[in-house]
Order: sequence, then structure tokens, then C-alpha cells
Amino acid sequence: MIESYLIEKMFNNAPFLDEMATDQGKIHSHWERIAKYYEQIGSEKMRQFQEEVSRQLRENGVTYNVYGDPDGMNRPWILDPVPMVFNSEEWEGIEKGLIQRTELLNLILNDLYGPQKLIKDGLLPFELIYNHRGFLRQVQDIKLDGDQQLIQYSSDLARGPNGKMWVLHDRTDAPSGAGYTFENRAAMTRVFPELIRENHVRKITSYYQTFKNTLSHLTNNKENPRVVLLSPGPTNETFFEHAYISSFMGFTLAFGEDLTVSGGYVWLKTIKGLEKVDVIIRRVDDVFCDPLEFKNDSHLGVVGLMEAVRQKKVLVINPLGCRVLENPGIMAFLPKISKELLGQDLILPSVATWWCGQPKELKYVFDHIDSLVIRNIYRGTNHKSVFGGDLTKEQLSTLKKEIERNPYMYVGQEMVDFSTSPSWINNKLEARNAVFRSYVVADSENKSYKVMSGGLSRSSPEKGAFLVSNQTGGISKDTWVLGKSKDVVTTLTKPIKAQPLIRNVLPSRTGERLFWLGRYLERSAYAVRLMRMTLLSYNEADEDIHIHETPVLSSLLRTLTIMTGTVPGFLEKAHLMNPEPELLDLVHNVDKPGSIAYSIQSFLTNAYAVRDRLSLDTWRILDSISEELAKMRQSENSLTKAYQSLDNMVVKLMAFYGLNIDNMTREPTWHLLNIGRFIESAANNCTILRGMLSKSFDVESNKELMEDTLRCNESLVTYRYRYRSNLEMHGVLSLLILHEDNPRSLIFQLLEIDSHLKALPNHEDHEMFGFERKKLLEAITKIRLCDVDFLSTSNPTTHEFDHLTSMLDQIIELLHDTSDLIYEKYFSHTGSGYSMIQTSVIPEI
Amino acid sequence: MKYQVIHITDYIYEFPATLCHNLMFQIPQDTDFQKVEKYVCEISPKPSSEMERMDFFGNKYLYFSVERSHKKLTVTSQSILDLQQPAWIAIHPKETMPWEKVVDWLHTVEATNDIRQYYLESNHVQFIDGVKDYALKSFTPGRPIMEAMLDLNKRIFDDFAFTPGFTDISTPLQKVFEHKKGVCQDFAHFSLACLRVLGLAARYVSGYIETIPPPGKPKLIGSDASHAWIAVYIPEHGWVEFDSTNNLLVNDKHIRVAVGRDFADVTPLKGIVYSGSEQEMKVSVDVTNLEESEAI
Repeated sequence: MIESYLIEKMFNNAPFLDEMATDQGKIHSHWERIAKYYEQIGSEKMRQFQEEVSRQLRENGVTYNVYGDPDGMNRPWILDPVPMVFNSEEWEGIEKGLIQRTELLNLILNDLYGPQKLIKDGLLPFELIYNHRGFLRQVQDIKLDGDQQLIQYSSDLARGPNGKMWVLHDRTDAPSGAGYTFENRAAMTRVFPELIRENHVRKITSYYQTFKNTLSHLTNNKENPRVVLLSPGPTNETFFEHAYISSFMGFTLAFGEDLTVSGGYVWLKTIKGLEKVDVIIRRVDDVFCDPLEFKNDSHLGVVGLMEAVRQKKVLVINPLGCRVLENPGIMAFLPKISKELLGQDLILPSVATWWCGQPKELKYVFDHIDSLVIRNIYRGTNHKSVFGGDLTKEQLSTLKKEIERNPYMYVGQEMVDFSTSPSWINNKLEARNAVFRSYVVADSENKSYKVMSGGLSRSSPEKGAFLVSNQTGGISKDTWVLGKSKDVVTTLTKPIKAQPLIRNVLPSRTGERLFWLGRYLERSAYAVRLMRMTLLSYNEADEDIHIHETPVLSSLLRTLTIMTGTVPGFLEKAHLMNPEPELLDLVHNVDKPGSIAYSIQSFLTNAYAVRDRLSLDTWRILDSISEELAKMRQSENSLTKAYQSLDNMVVKLMAFYGLNIDNMTREPTWHLLNIGRFIESAANNCTILRGMLSKSFDVESNKELMEDTLRCNESLVTYRYRYRSNLEMHGVLSLLILHEDNPRSLIFQLLEIDSHLKALPNHEDHEMFGFERKKLLEAITKIRLCDVDFLSTSNPTTHEFDHLTSMLDQIIELLHDTSDLIYEKYFSHTGSGYSMIQTSVIPEI
Repeated sequence: MKYQVIHITDYIYEFPATLCHNLMFQIPQDTDFQKVEKYVCEISPKPSSEMERMDFFGNKYLYFSVERSHKKLTVTSQSILDLQQPAWIAIHPKETMPWEKVVDWLHTVEATNDIRQYYLESNHVQFIDGVKDYALKSFTPGRPIMEAMLDLNKRIFDDFAFTPGFTDISTPLQKVFEHKKGVCQDFAHFSLACLRVLGLAARYVSGYIETIPPPGKPKLIGSDASHAWIAVYIPEHGWVEFDSTNNLLVNDKHIRVAVGRDFADVTPLKGIVYSGSEQEMKVSVDVTNLEESEAI
């Protein structure tokens, strides 16, 4: 394996250095053990290990999203089993270089939003800074306490042709990826435990411990600072990581709509009311953070946040304004600034950069445009970097015109031949260009910076491709720093306290999602069960029957329509006569509200939105439900296949619930999930009874109808066990409505709702029943007072069970009201629709 | 000249709004030739928080939030000002520096960032095609800057039709230039583009101007307006203001409130309102010349 890699490498005259071996094919000493290990285990084992790694990640639900691709949501995260490796001598230099660079950037930041001495002294051109949209005029002179403004810093590094690591990009606004490094390491540790131990791979955990200490220091060691991680939401590229870091660090995951500014403070809307926020770790880009002062059409931010920052009522990390440093033009001036401010040469060089705002540099860029990467100084979706060599003559001249029109906005950068690293691709080791993303965090207490001993490396999926990004399908690699750290283990100045006091508050939006998660869970399960009954009955029926004249099948079909809310459906005779198309549609048309596919999709969407609240094992089940849904949607034309799929689905849905019984702490999270669940099941129970048992037919049909009704509620076995008799209305109704010990009975379901409501934080006097519980009490009492004999008597002329129907209608109505009242009480402040208003037209003169 | 300005803005919502956060740029500048004798701002309903602040461009502004249910928000700014003729009225246009010298000067150490920031593009002032050629017809080689500027002012006044309703604040400058129509803010943005594309520092000025009713007709209440014009930086003279909507070198009839790169920096009132419904905004401005009314 290794040999063929080396031969391939030597004879393939790629101009790149390699991470593992020299040009002559000699393996670097820090790679020897690892290479030997690969050699020993061989390709087959390696393939198995790769699968194992993928499985680990998949089961932990590690995903990322690709923008602009409808199937781009929750893509599995891909990890190469072969890591990027640094030896300790080289790492020492990288670490020093990164700390130096972070300190330097921090000084620049302080200066740009303060005295602007660098501009006055001619060390940074004015146009480079003032033209950059990351230079936020609103944050002038606003500072965190202390000198450290840049709290988190990341940079992409690659090995240049001279063998040194070069900085390709600086990331200073809201650097991403640190969460993924943890998952990568966890998976690698599972699969290659010895390799990691024997090579003394350094741990990466102290990074987050330092971060925690820093937060604690910045909030003046406040007892329980409320920290939220502000995420743009579940469709963001790295949403997985937002949820992961939140649960890992004990932050509350919040979206813009969860926060509000009042009295100068930022508040989190929770189901208990508003809770004050002390720190916002932001993963929302700078200008999206406050529509009042920045981008007024942003719905990802918090209105008035900037004013709260001015009043120092909340800390935002990284502070707004840091993005100005993500300006490749600055790289051209860093060496001089470093000499001036630190009196040092840069340890880590940046990729060679020419800023077009200067005549000489502009000329150089134009003369060498074929061999340079042209970048806008502002990174954004509208500003893609281009390689001059890839452009046609026409494109080049358009580009040159654009640069001439606004030279300040562009830089030319050298196209670096960065090194290759062995990567496991197509079951063999292949050389791929790799980029390493480092993570640096402020250690406020010691007024210094700490570098994560590792990071996120990525390699290109194609040979010889340089642009490495997950958006275009990059492969991630764990990053190993070998050998013991010189500064020994980072000893923490304070003992780490267990932090049970951080109350795990529940944002209203999350509460609402959990409520719907429960509802869609039961909605899906009931629909699946009823669909299975219907399909069975349909398959058993003779081919030449008229369905609309068959009481059992037509009741099943109509009930299906009503329960799924897909009217007219089978209430129309035409569909009833030829049910197959509508049945298939009800199973897998994900765009049809009420269909099984739609409900399961909604169930999954809600689950992903609250993934920080669900256990790892739960994510695995969600993953398998998602796979099953995909299968189900493929069974487009076959009811038989659909049936099998439904069978699997119901088991998985129940497994989801079962796992949560075991794993969820009995907090509001749990109660809201159950309130949703039982409201839905109570309503469905009523709908089934009402649909199936509305009328008395011949003895045989009645028996079948009752049997199916029991089956839909999974109560047939219970019935037989209890009554040991033929099916009769009185017994069926008693079991499904009144028996408090049958978990499928209406009374049980209503009592469950009540007990969970009772457990939720009450806004009113504890002794008092809230409005929602009063409504529920009305339903419970109605049922307790009902007379089963009376309900099971049908109208002698119409044969309809009028009394039953009328009572069920009342219960459904009361459930609706209860649900509305719960909404009003717990989720009302999730309503956060806002809009911009401004003096837009200046009136006539 | 002594003026009283009353500037009233009403937001009216169909359904009550529960919360709104606002920024208001309506506090007049206090300068050598424009003394603010009185300024009062009244907001109804009473704001829950209120902060007077200074922005990056040196303007005073007010942040406020209303955190209770309301169907109408009224902001009333009332000021009394004493205006003198600005010093630039006395400048002889022919005796000013050639405009290229001003461009060069802006790249010397004497020119501070506070001045230089105004020769860059901004949201509403983009270097669209044709703007430079348009400007160069007035800014011929070696021409004294003030003379060139007055010429540009007149050409814009002649070429562009003052047409209320044709544009709003989101109308791109390109469209204004193509149709040669717009209101004062479009005139100002276009002037700024002409100057900045040449490398001159020019900024947006928002404020008020007194309107004179047609002879014999009474002045209508609320018929005055917020107004916008521009200022160009000329070394030795500082910021000199021009109003291309009225083809004027600004004199003692313009009341200045705030300066910025363009309208977006100094919007008189903007806010984010939490309300599910449609909203309507009404603005009325009254500028009264107190000396004249006293004379009557």
C-alpha cells in the first residue's frame, strides 16, 4: 500500500511536496509508525476501518448542509481515515506563529476601531479598510473589557513549495469547524485507539476549556452567566456543529427569533417567560446580527442588539466588527505591521498578495494575471475568487475592467502549489492537496492565546484541485500533533467546577418545536397504522366489489381522509371507486400536507431543529427514519412495497419514543413532547371512533369495524384478553374511551396531557388551574360522566350512533381549544414577525 | 435668519405593534453659522428606553424603543435656529484651486480619514457607467473647483426633471441617470457620484428648506419638506454646500441636520416594528421664518 503510494508519487511528476515522504520516496520520521501500521493492516482492513469511521459519524448524526441544493440538507460528513500529521518540532513553530498572528490581528483590530494610527502612519491604506464591508462604522470605540477583542480566530494553512506552512485565509468573524474536529477525533479514537495512543497524539479538549474560562473571566466570574449560541438556523451549512457545541458547552442554542432586546438587555424567550442573556456566541455573520443598524432585511439577527452592546449589557463573541480582518489585502501589509507593532518578523508567512489599490502592485497583477488568483477583498457569495489562468481572453478583459474601475476592491494572490497528503480514496492511498484549519482562542485570564493541538484538515476530492471547501465536496481529515506538549498539560488556574447550576432553559421556539415533534410523531404513527389496516382490507377485498357499498372498506378510507385532513379525498365517490392513486399519494407525496410522507418529513424537520435536546442514540434513530422515508418515497407505484415500508416505519417511530422515555430528563422538554403526543393521539382516537363506529350495519360488518377500530388503537389483544367474548359495542367503547388503565383509551390520553401540563412552569398562582387545564378538565369530566350504554345505542331509524358522535365532536372541539390555549400561554412570544419602516420618500418641495 | 422647524412623523399600524426599536436623525447641527437655540423631541407613546448618541460621521442621533402595545407612534422634533450666511458665499469661484489639485491634496497626509472617507463609493452612490463622462464635461482640465462645481450643479438642475413619485429610496442610481428624473435625494446622490468618481470628497447633507408659496397664495401647513443636498471639500475653505435641486450655492435658507455618505447613513427616522400588519407613515414638516412672521 505504502510502496505503491511512494512509487506513484515519485513517478507522477506532480510539483507538490508530500506530507508523508520526501521527493525521493523516503518516509518522514513522524510518519514512519503510521505508515508501518497501514502496511501491516493492509487494504482490506483499511477499507473496513473507513466504513467504521463513516458509521461512527453517521450514527452520531454528524452532517452538514449544502446551500442551494434541495437534497443538500443533512449530508453525511465525510472523514478520511488517514489524518494530517505534524511532528512536535514543527508544531512548536506553527503554534508560535499562530499566536503571533492572532496577537497582531488583535492589535490591528483595536487600532482600526480606535485611533487608526496604522492608517495615519501609512502602514495600512485607508481605502483598503474603509472600502471593506466588514469595517463597521457602528462599532467605533466599542470594546470588550481588556485588550483582547479577537476571542476566536481561525486560519487556513497549507505547506508551500519551500516546505513552510503558509497562511491562506484568516477567519475572524464567526470561524466554524471546531465542533467537527471533536467529532472527527471521537470517531478516529474509536477506530484507531492504539495508533493514537502509540503515536502520542495530543488531545484537543483543552481548547474548549480555555474558551469556557475566558467566558467566565469576561463575565467577571459571574455565577451562572447565561450564554447563548446564536445560530442562523437548521438550514445553515454547519448547523450540526451549532447544536453540538451548544450541548457540549452547556450553551442555549438560539435563533434570532428567540431573542429580544428590552430595556437595553437581551432576553431569551423561554416557556417560563423572558430570561436575561449575558453572552452571545455568534455564528451569524456580522451585518446580519441587527437589522436596525445593519442589514435591514435580515431575519437572522436580534433587533437592537448593537444598542445593547453599546450599553455593555451583553457580550457578543466574536465582537461585531472583527470581520474587517478577513481581508486578504491586509496580508500584503502584515510583515511591516508586525515589525512596527511587535518588533518581530512574521513567523508564518501569508500567501504572496498584491493589493490592486497601489499602482505598482496593480501593474504586477495585470502583468501576471494568468498565474494569480484574483480575489475581492470582501468574501461573499457574490465575490468568487477566480484563477486568471482559467479565464478566456474576453473574461480576462472584463475582469481587468472591473479591477480598473475599482482597484481598491481586489487583490492578486499567488497560486500556491500546496503539499499533498495521503488520503484513502477508492480503496487505496492517493496523494491529495490538503489544507489545515487551525483554531485559536483567547485565554483572557492569562492575557494570551491558546492554539488547539489539532484542527480540521480538508483535502480535495479531485486530483490536483486546490479549492477545498465542504460546499464543493471536500473531505475532512483529523489532524494529529504528535509527541508530548512542551508546556505540559495546560494547568487550569481554577479547578473545573461541575456546573449543575446552569439551568437548562427552554426557548419558546424550541418548546414549540418539541410540541410539534410529539404531534407529528403520533400523527405519523396513527396514519401509518390506519393505512396498514386499510391496505390489508383492500387487498383482501374481491376485485369486483363496489367499495362505496362496502361498509368496512369505505369507512376505513373515509376515516383515512378525515384523519389525515386531506379532504375531499375518499369523501368523493370517484376516489372511493378507484382508491389506488389516492392511497399511493397519501403514502409518499411529501408535498401533500397530511400525507404520511409529509407528516414524517415534518416530524424530522422538527427533530433536527431541536437536535441539541435529543440524545445521540436518538439521532441514530432519526437517521434510520430518514432512510426509511427515502425508501418509502421510492415505492412509488407499488402498494405492496409501500406496505412493507410502513411496517418498518411504525417500529422505528416507536423506537424513537421508547428511547426518549429512557433518555430524556423529566424537564419541560419531555413534558412538551408528551403534551403534543397525547393531544394528537386523543384527537386521532376520537376521529377513528367517529369514522369507524358511526353507524350500525350487518353483524359481520359491525364485527369487522370494531376489530379494525381496536387494531388501529393496538387494543385488539387487550380486548380479547379482558373480555374473552365476541366483539360488542359496549366493551369496545369502554376499553377505548373509559378504561383508565388502557394507555390507548381516551381518558388515559387526556389525563396524560393534564399531568404533563401540571408539570410545566406555571405563570399563574400554583393553586390555580390555568385556562388550558380548565378546558381539559371539561373534556375529562365529560368522559367520566358518560354512560356507555347510552353511547352504544344507535338511532332505531337511521342506525347511527348519534350520542357517540356528538360526544366525540365535543371532545375534539375541547382538544382544539386546549391546544390553542397552550399555544397562547407558552409559545405566544415566538411570534416575531417584524418589518422595517423608514422615511423612504422625501416629500415634494 | 431665524427659523422654527416642526417635523412630525406618524407611524400608523393596522393592528397594534408590541415593540419597536428606532433610530432618529433629526437633531439639527450646531455650527458657527447655524445656532440651535432650542431643540425638543417628543415621542408618543413615551419610549421605554432612549439614548442620545453620536455616530461615526459626527451626527447626534436618538435611539429609542417603545415596548408596549401601540397603534400609532408619533415623533415630533421642534427646533428654533439662528442662521447666518455661510462663509463660502464670499468665495470667488474663479480663485479656487484647480479641481485636480484638490484630488491630489486628498492623498496627502493633511487630508484626514474623516474627509477622505467621502470619496469612496457607498450604497446609494455607485460609479455607474457614464457618470464620469457626465462629470468631466464640467470638470475640464485645470478648471477651478468651485466654478466647475457650480457648472455641474446647473447642468444637473437643467438636465434632470424634478419628479416626485418616480423614485423611492430603493431606486438604483442607474435608473435615475437613464430617465433623468427624481427628487432631491436622487439629485444629491447623482451629484455625489459625479464628484467621487473624479476622486473628490463629497458628502450627503440632510436637512430642511423653507418653501415660498406662489405669489398671493397662503402657505400650506406641512408643505415644507425634508431636503437633501451635498457638500464638497475644498482645502482652505472646508465643506462647501451645493443644492442641485434648486441650482443654488447653499445660503442661509438651508437648515442642516446630519451628514453622511448617502441617505442610508442619515435616514431621518427608521425603525423595526414587531407587528403583523401593514403600516403607514406620514411626515409633515413646517419651516417658519420667524423674522418675516414677526415683521407681518
